[in-house]
Amino acid sequence: MAGGAHRGGGRWGAPHSPAPPGPRGCPVPLKAAAQSLCRKPTWGQYCTLLLFQRKLEIYSVEHHAATDIKKKEGRDGKKDNDLELKRNQQKEELKKELDLDVSLQFAFVLFVFQGLSSTRAAELLAQNGPNALTPPKQTPEIIKFLKQMVGGFSILLWVGAVLCWIAFGIQYVSNPSASLDSVYLGTVLAVVVILTGIFAYYQEAKSTNIMASFCKMIPQQAVVIRDSEKKVIPAEQLVVGDIVEIKGGDQIPADIRLLSAQGCKVDNSSLTGESEPQSRSSEFTHENPLETKNITFYSTTCQRVFRCTATGMVINTGDRTIIGRIASLASGVGNEKTPIAIEIEHFVHIVAGVAVSVGILFFIIAVCMKYHVLDAIIFLIAIIVANVPEGLLATVTVALSLTAKRMAKKNCLVKNLEAVETLGSTSIICSDKTGTLTQNRMTVAHLWFDNQIFVADTSEDNLNQGFDQSSGTWTSLSKIIALCNRAEFKPGQESVPIMKRVVVGDASETALLKFSEVILGDVMEIRKRNHKVVEIPFNSTNKFQLSIHQTEDPNDKRFLLVMKGAPERILEKCSTIMINGKEQPLDKSMAQAFHTAYMELGGLGERVLGFCHFYLPADEFPETYSFDSESMNFPTSNLCFVGLLSMIDPPRSTVPDAVTKCRSAGIKVIMVTGDHPITAKAIAKSVGIISANSETVEDIAKRCNIAVEQVNKRDAKAAVVTGMELKDMSPEQLDELLANYPEIVFARTSPQQKLIIVEGCQRQDAVVAVTGDGVNDSPALKKADIGVAMGITGSDAAKNAADMILLDDNFSSIVTGVEEGRLIFDNLKKTIAYTLTKNIAELCPFLIYIILGLPLPIGTITLLFIDLGTDIIPSIALAYEKAESDIMNRKPRHKKKDRLVNQQLAVYSYLHIGLMQALGAFLVYFTVYAQQGFRPTSLFHLRIAWDSDHLNDLEDNYGQEWTSYQRQYLEWTGYTAFFVGIMVQQIADLIIRKTRKNSIFKQGLFRNKVIWVGIASQIIVALLLSYGLGSITALNFTMLKAQYWFVAVPHAILIWVYDEMRKLFIRLYPGSWWDKNMYY
Amino acid sequence: MAALQEKKSCSQRMEEFRHYCWNPDTGQMLGRTLSRWVWISLYYVAFYVVMTGLFALCIYVLMQTIDPYTPDYQDQLKSPGVTLRPDVYGEKGLEIHYNISDNRTWTSLTHTLRSFLAGYSPAAQVDNINCTSKTYFFQESFGAPNHTKFSCKFTADMLENCSGLTDPSFGFKEGKPCFIIKMNRIVRFLPSNSTPPRVDCTFLDMPHQALTPLQVEYYPPNGTFSLHYFPYYGKKAQPHYSNPLVAAKLLNVPTNTEVVVLCKILADHVTFDNPHDPYEGKVEFKLKIQK
Repeated sequence: MAGGAHRGGGRWGAPHSPAPPGPRGCPVPLKAAAQSLCRKPTWGQYCTLLLFQRKLEIYSVEHHAATDIKKKEGRDGKKDNDLELKRNQQKEELKKELDLDVSLQFAFVLFVFQGLSSTRAAELLAQNGPNALTPPKQTPEIIKFLKQMVGGFSILLWVGAVLCWIAFGIQYVSNPSASLDSVYLGTVLAVVVILTGIFAYYQEAKSTNIMASFCKMIPQQAVVIRDSEKKVIPAEQLVVGDIVEIKGGDQIPADIRLLSAQGCKVDNSSLTGESEPQSRSSEFTHENPLETKNITFYSTTCQRVFRCTATGMVINTGDRTIIGRIASLASGVGNEKTPIAIEIEHFVHIVAGVAVSVGILFFIIAVCMKYHVLDAIIFLIAIIVANVPEGLLATVTVALSLTAKRMAKKNCLVKNLEAVETLGSTSIICSDKTGTLTQNRMTVAHLWFDNQIFVADTSEDNLNQGFDQSSGTWTSLSKIIALCNRAEFKPGQESVPIMKRVVVGDASETALLKFSEVILGDVMEIRKRNHKVVEIPFNSTNKFQLSIHQTEDPNDKRFLLVMKGAPERILEKCSTIMINGKEQPLDKSMAQAFHTAYMELGGLGERVLGFCHFYLPADEFPETYSFDSESMNFPTSNLCFVGLLSMIDPPRSTVPDAVTKCRSAGIKVIMVTGDHPITAKAIAKSVGIISANSETVEDIAKRCNIAVEQVNKRDAKAAVVTGMELKDMSPEQLDELLANYPEIVFARTSPQQKLIIVEGCQRQDAVVAVTGDGVNDSPALKKADIGVAMGITGSDAAKNAADMILLDDNFSSIVTGVEEGRLIFDNLKKTIAYTLTKNIAELCPFLIYIILGLPLPIGTITLLFIDLGTDIIPSIALAYEKAESDIMNRKPRHKKKDRLVNQQLAVYSYLHIGLMQALGAFLVYFTVYAQQGFRPTSLFHLRIAWDSDHLNDLEDNYGQEWTSYQRQYLEWTGYTAFFVGIMVQQIADLIIRKTRKNSIFKQGLFRNKVIWVGIASQIIVALLLSYGLGSITALNFTMLKAQYWFVAVPHAILIWVYDEMRKLFIRLYPGSWWDKNMYY
Repeated sequence: MAALQEKKSCSQRMEEFRHYCWNPDTGQMLGRTLSRWVWISLYYVAFYVVMTGLFALCIYVLMQTIDPYTPDYQDQLKSPGVTLRPDVYGEKGLEIHYNISDNRTWTSLTHTLRSFLAGYSPAAQVDNINCTSKTYFFQESFGAPNHTKFSCKFTADMLENCSGLTDPSFGFKEGKPCFIIKMNRIVRFLPSNSTPPRVDCTFLDMPHQALTPLQVEYYPPNGTFSLHYFPYYGKKAQPHYSNPLVAAKLLNVPTNTEVVVLCKILADHVTFDNPHDPYEGKVEFKLKIQK
C-alpha cells in the first residue's frame, strides 16, 4: 500500500516541546541536551529515540479508509463530490474514533550504539513487569472442583445424604441400637456425588490440558543492544527503551519505533486483517500509530524479505502494547453460559422439581398415613434418589468429550467441552475474511493479454492452470513474470510441493514466482539462462520494478528489458502493445480496452500489475554496454505493453462449499473484516456469502442508474457495510440491518465494532459463532457464543479468547463442527430420554410401598446400581448414534423454543415408556413372590407384618411360616428381580431410543456397534451383581433363577412395538395431534 | 445470550403463569384448549386401560401356572424357623423379664400362652385324626373330606405340666416357667431321616457366669416332634393342620440374674448355624426372674 501519508502534526517523527517530567522522567538538562542534539543533522536520525508514553484508549483499524478511497479515485476519475465529502467526514471520524492522547515525553535519550545499561534495564523490568501478556485469569482449580461437587443434582443428593445422617442421629438418640442402614445410604450417596464430581472434574481438566499444551510457545528471543553490546535475551525481558534488532522472519518482540530499516515489510494481518504486508521504514508518515510506517507492533511478524534488517527502540511492552490492550479488551468481555449448559440447567431444574415435589407430596401422604416421621424422611430420600439420574451428568460429560475427541480428529479442537454443542445451535456465523475464508496468501487470479481476460487457478495446489498458453504474448508475459522478480525459493525444498515452498520475497513476488514455477518449471534455471545485468527494485515513488537481462538465445545479442508495476504507470511508458505475439501501436481503442480490463479486475478486489518489455537495440546497447541503475542510462519509455495480471488472496477452495452447507443448514454467514469493502465484497461473492444473484443497494443503483437513496431497500438482499457507516448506526438500525438482509458483509471494522456486531446478532436471539485469527478478532471471539480461532495462522490472543480452534484453519471444519454439534444435541436428547424413562420404574416401588403396603420391591442401593451400573455404558453408547436424517438440512434450533428436554420428552419417557417399564418390573417381582408362596393379592398391606423383626412365623399362602430373615432374603430376591426387570426393559428402551422418528430398522440395528457393547455391559453387570456378588448381603442382591431374567421380555417387546407405532404415526401424519404430542 | 438472562420481575412471572393457566386469546388452559384436554385425557385413559388390562392378563397367566398345593420354589425355606411363646421382644431379640412376687409381671405372659394354646383345645382339633405312628405320615391321595388330606391331632394336654390345664400359671409362679417352642411349617418338609426332631435347651455360656447346666423338663417327653406330623401338605390340603409343639419347663433358672437360654432343634435336616438368621432352627432368649 502506498500513499496516504499525512505529514501533519509530526507527532511521531519530530522532536517535541518538552512535556512535564513524567514519573520516570529524566532530569530536564538531559532533555535539553537531547533537543540540541536533535538540531544537528547528523543526530537527527537518532532523535527519535524517545520514550513515548501514550494512552491509546480506543483502537481502530480504519486507518486505511482514506487511502482506499484515494486508490479508488485513481482508478476511476469519475468519482464525484460526495465521495470527497465522505472522505473529509471519514477523516474526522478517524480522529474522533482514535481519540488519541499522545503525550510524549522525553524520558531519556540514548545512543543507539550504547543501548540501555543492564542495571537500568533491570530497574525498568522490575518497574514495568516482563514483556509478556498477562494470561487471562484462571479460576482456581479448587473452585472448579467444588463447582462440580455442588453443581447439578449433586446438591440434591447432598441434601439426601445429610437427611440420612440426621435421620440416623435421631434414631440413635432414641435407640442406640438403631440399624446403620441410613448411615450406609447417606455415605453411599455422598460417595456417589464425590465420585461423579471427581469424574466430571477430571474430564474437564483433561480437555483443558490439551489446550494448555497447545498454547505453550517456544520462548521468543530478541537481539538487544545493552551495555554497548549485542545480546540475545528472552523477549520477555525486554523493557521500554531497549534497542532491538529485527531481521526478516522474526516476530516483533514488542511495540517498536523503528530507527532504521531496510526493505522491511510486516505482516499486520493479525492486528488489522489486511493480508498484504505493510512496508516499514524509519520515516514517520502518519499521526495514527497504527498507520505510521515507523512503528511495528508486538506479535506481528517481519516478512521473510531479502536482506531485511531493522533497528528500533521498544516503546511499549507487555500489556501496554496495542496487542495487549486488545487482549485486555477481550478479557473484559464476560464469559456467557453456553447453550448446552443452559439446557442442562433447565433439565436439572425439571428433574429436581419433579423429584422434590413428588418427594414432599409423598412425605405428606406418609405422615398423614401415620407413618413415623423418620420413616417418612427415609421415603423422601428414596424418592429423591429414585428420581435423580445420578449417572446422567457424568454421561453427558463423557458424550461431550467423545464428540470433542471426534472433532479433534477432524481438526476442530474444542477448548471448552460445552462448546461442542454450541456450533450445532449456531444460527449466525460472523466470519473473519483473511486466513479464515481466504488462504492468506496472494495468488495470481486473472491475466489479461491479447485483449482477453484469462482465469488462473487459485485453488490451494494451483496445479491446474488451464488457460490458453499458446499465444506468443503469453510467452513474452511469462518471461517477464519469471525474470522481473526478486523472490527466490529457499534452497533444499525440491521435494516440497511448489505452493508450500518457503519463499524469500514479498507476497506478490512470491505469488508470481510460484505461478511461473508451476507453469514454466524451474524459474531459477530460466533466470540463470537469462543473466540479469541490472535491476531497479520496486519503490513507492516510481511504482515499477525493472531489470535488464541477456537473452537465453545465443544468436540474439539484444538485451531484454522487463518491467512490472502499477498498470497505469506501465501503460504510460508504452507506445506499443503486443497482441498475439505481435507488436501493434497502442491506439486509443487499445488503451480503452486496457482500462476496461483494469477496472474489471480492480472491481474484483484484486491487485493488478502491468507488465511490459523492450528488446534494447543491439547496435545502441552492445554486449559490453555498462548499465547503471542510478543514472538509468537506458530507455524507459516507448516500451511494449504485454499484459496485466491480477492477484488476490483467494478463498480457500473448500469455503464456497462450506458456506453453501451452512446456508442449507439455516445458518446465516456474515463476513466481518478489517479489509477494504471492495476486496471484502469480491471475496464474499466468490465464496457465496453474497450469492450470485443478489445485489446490494449500491449494485441496484448502479444497474438502474439511479441514486442510492432512490433504491427500495427491500429489493436488495445483500449489504456491504463499512465501519464508518456502522459507527453512525443506532442499535435499532443495526438490528434492522441484521434482520432484513440475509447476506451481509462488514468491512473496515474495528475490534469494538466486531463486538457490536456480535452483540447485535445476539439481540436477534441468535447463537453466534465468530471465526477469526487476528488479535483484533479476540474481543468478538470472546463475546460470541462460540469463538472459533484458527490454529495455524491464529494469534495467541485469538486462541485464548476462542472456545474452539480449527487446527487446519479450514472454514469447512466449522461445518463438521455444526454437524457434530447438532448430532450430539440429538443424541443427548436420546440419552436423557433413555435415562429418565427408568426413573418411573424406580419411583413406583416406593409409591406403591407407601400407599399399598407391598413388601418393598426395590431398595435404594439397588437403584444406584441401575443408575451408576447397568445404565452408564448404554447411555454413553447413544452418543455414537448416527444422525437420523440429514441434520444439515434443517434450521438451527431456536434456543428458547427447542429445548433439550421438552414437555413431550418428559411426558413420553415418564408416563408412557416409564410406566410400561414399571409394570414389567412389577410383573417380575410378583412372579418371584408368587412362586415362593406369596400371591400378589396377599402382598397388599402386608408391609407392617412383613417388616416386623418380631414376627418370625409369618404365614404365606401355602401356610408356610417365614422368619424375619427369610422374608428379608426374599425381599432382596425381589429387589434383584425388579432390578433385572428394569434392566431387561432398559435394553428395549435403549434400542427404541436410537431414533426419534425413523423406524429402528431403517436406522439399522447393528450400525452402531457401541449400542451392543452397551447392551452386553448391561447384562454382564447385572449377571455379576446377581451371581458374582449375590452372596454379599450388604449389596442386597441374590442369585436370581435363570427364568426370571426372561419374565420382562414380553414387556420389553411391547415397549419396542409401542414405540415403533409411535414413530410410524409420526411419520404418517406429520403435524398431527399425535406428532405434536408424541415427538420429542 | 443476554436475552436469556433477563431477570423477570415477580409480577411478570405471576402474569405469565396466569396466562399459562388461562389464556383468554386461545381459550387454552394449562397450555391446551378444553377439547385438546379431553382428547389427551381420553388417550391416556385408553392407554392405561390397555396397559392395566395387559398387566392383569399377565398376572392371571402367572396365577394359572402356580400349583395351589405346593409352592414352585422353596429354596428360601430350606430349614424351618423356630419361635417361642411367650414372645416378648426387647431391644435385641426375645427378652422375658418377670417378678415372681408380682403376678402382674407374669400374668400377661401366661395369658399369651393360654391364648396361643387355645388353638390346641380338643374342640379346635376336632377335625384332625389321632396318630400313633412313629414314622412320617405320607399321604399321596386326598383321603379326607372336601378333597383334603388328614392332619394329626395335637392337643394342649400333650404338654402335660405346661398345658396350663394342671398349672394355670405355667410354672411362672414358682420360678420354673414353661416355654412353648414351635417349629415353622414348610410344605413337604421332612426334618430328619428316621429319628424325630428334638428340642434341646441350654444356657448360652456367658463370660463371668458360672452356671450349672440347665435342667429342663420337656413335654411331650424327650422334647420330640413326632414324625407323624410331617410332612405338611400346605394350607389347601391340610386346612386344619396345627404345628406340633414342645414345651420346655426350665427347672433351675437362677433368680435375679439375666441368663440367655438357647433352644435348638436337633434334626438331620434342620440347621441352626445360619449366621444371618437368629431364628433358623433355634431360638434364643434372655430370661430374668426376680424374686
